[in-house]
Amino acid sequence: MNLQLITLEVVVTLIGATILLGSLWLPADKRRHLPLVAAAALVVLLIAHCFAMGVDTTTTLHGFGGGIVQDGFAICLKRLFLASAAFVLAMSAPFVERLRAGPGEFCALILFALVGMLFAASANDFVMLFVSVELITVTFYVLTSFQRHETRSLEAGAKYLILGGVATGLMVFGISLIFAGSGTMSLREISKLDPLPNLMLFNAGLLLVVAGLGFKIAIVPFQLWAPDVYQGSPTPVTAFLAVGSKIAGFALLMRLLRHTSRPETGFLLDALAALAAFSMIYGSLCAIWQRQLKRLMAYIGISSAGYLLIGVIAMAKGFDGTKAILFYLAAYLFAAMATFTVIGLISKEGEDERSEILNGLHKRSPGLALTLTLSIVSLAGIPPLAGFFGKFLLLQLLLEMAVNNAAYYWLLGIALACIVASLAFFFGIIRAVYWPSDVALSRATAPAAPIPTSLPLKISLAICVTGIILLGLQPDVFLDLIQETVRAFRWQ
Amino acid sequence: MDGQLQQYLPVLILAVVAIAFAVGNLVASYLIGQWINRRRLKSIPAAKNIPYECGMLPIGAGNNRLSVKFYLVAMLFILFDIEVVFLYPWAVVYREMLAENAGLIFGSMFSFIAILFVGYIYAIKTQAFDWKV
Repeated sequence: MNLQLITLEVVVTLIGATILLGSLWLPADKRRHLPLVAAAALVVLLIAHCFAMGVDTTTTLHGFGGGIVQDGFAICLKRLFLASAAFVLAMSAPFVERLRAGPGEFCALILFALVGMLFAASANDFVMLFVSVELITVTFYVLTSFQRHETRSLEAGAKYLILGGVATGLMVFGISLIFAGSGTMSLREISKLDPLPNLMLFNAGLLLVVAGLGFKIAIVPFQLWAPDVYQGSPTPVTAFLAVGSKIAGFALLMRLLRHTSRPETGFLLDALAALAAFSMIYGSLCAIWQRQLKRLMAYIGISSAGYLLIGVIAMAKGFDGTKAILFYLAAYLFAAMATFTVIGLISKEGEDERSEILNGLHKRSPGLALTLTLSIVSLAGIPPLAGFFGKFLLLQLLLEMAVNNAAYYWLLGIALACIVASLAFFFGIIRAVYWPSDVALSRATAPAAPIPTSLPLKISLAICVTGIILLGLQPDVFLDLIQETVRAFRWQ
Repeated sequence: MDGQLQQYLPVLILAVVAIAFAVGNLVASYLIGQWINRRRLKSIPAAKNIPYECGMLPIGAGNNRLSVKFYLVAMLFILFDIEVVFLYPWAVVYREMLAENAGLIFGSMFSFIAILFVGYIYAIKTQAFDWKV
């Protein structure tokens, strides 16, 4: 037992429990500050984890019977999770009035989901994998339907519950088949087994587990829930679902594939390459005409999952994809968080977040308009912002892979075409923000008053914008930082 | 067939018989009902579709609404029942493990119960046990 491996998880659990219990004794009018308190606690924890806690990023530590591993990759991901949860809590502060069921429970649930993600970053056997996925998913069942008085929130919760249940069922069945085919639950031991006792059962199980994780990261053909659930959930929850839950799914998928990939399971990587192509095509084509902002973010998320899958395949094949994936995830985190924060600020309670609510945003709040534009431009992958460089790194990996296997040139072509196609959706948004047509303006019901933005939200938006610009203009600084963290890191 | 699976053949036969019995009864009663109705009556009277209850006319709707408190109690019961499920095996190995790994055996159960205790306080404070509210 090595308790220092789970310090972050224990501390976040304690913060969550404290907030849950504290909210019971706080007077009702003080409770709306709880999200900010939780966000501040997470920021302090993140800074402490980066500078003060003496975390050694260069060694790989194992604990809890091999179930938990701490390496550079896990540490990087844990910091991303902490940052994304802090952004989400900050953006839910002005949202609290709409959450009738209580801000204390809301913050506590977000923190508990964060614990699941932190565990997912260092899960190294199938028990930890399953428990962390369930901790994330079960809290999200409640969070997606948190606005009980709104039908669409309940609808989102019900859809997520049913499809999440299916995904969990697939995953458990797959894990049992993998255990039957290999005789162990530990990823480390599976990677050392040669030959596998029963290859057929193992392959079938692996396919099912990947399908279950595919639901979490929303790749085609497991993407159908994403637009509806994203649209119906409260905006901060959508942000957490789009960023935190997706990154956790990728973390698990990468560890799983890295340990289980061997010549006999090569078919899975080919299948995943096809799914990556379909996800990119589906996401970018559906995004073109989508005018509901949260659905649009769902389609952007689906195509992003496609791009990221390229990096995952490259890693499973032994290329050094860690840097590209972590860079893309960080770029996606900043851009998505900024977009969701602005969407949450602009939309009123019970209003459908169609792009009409952006009409004339430039006149109302130039700062928010600029933030939204930058993050959408970054998501679309236009140079010189962060999103462009993330995609560039992933395509570079694809080129390296194509040297050995010409089939990957096809994937490269599809990826390039999808990047061009995804430029289309951002014109509609930029036009609504800066040059709305007179017809649209006359139909707009919102008064042209500036949108009140609290100081913590201004800070969090400023951090996002700085991140987007810095990652784009000075990618080397961040890449060196990642390199430093994952330098001595070996997959074990 | 695999030798191991062959043991389960009686179970399979039983399942087939059970399904055939249930489906067969429904189909038979449908067919016989149709046949009799065609001979004696022009159409099926409404009274024939009423569930049979000792010759009395049924009163009220079939699905009664239950108070949400019942579900609440059921949920809390399952939650704290799990605690007992884990406590039993823990108690069995407790004395053995205390000698070699006291921190693990005590710490794991203590943290588990502490987390459940937070839930317990939450349930009390939100008046989940108070039926009058």
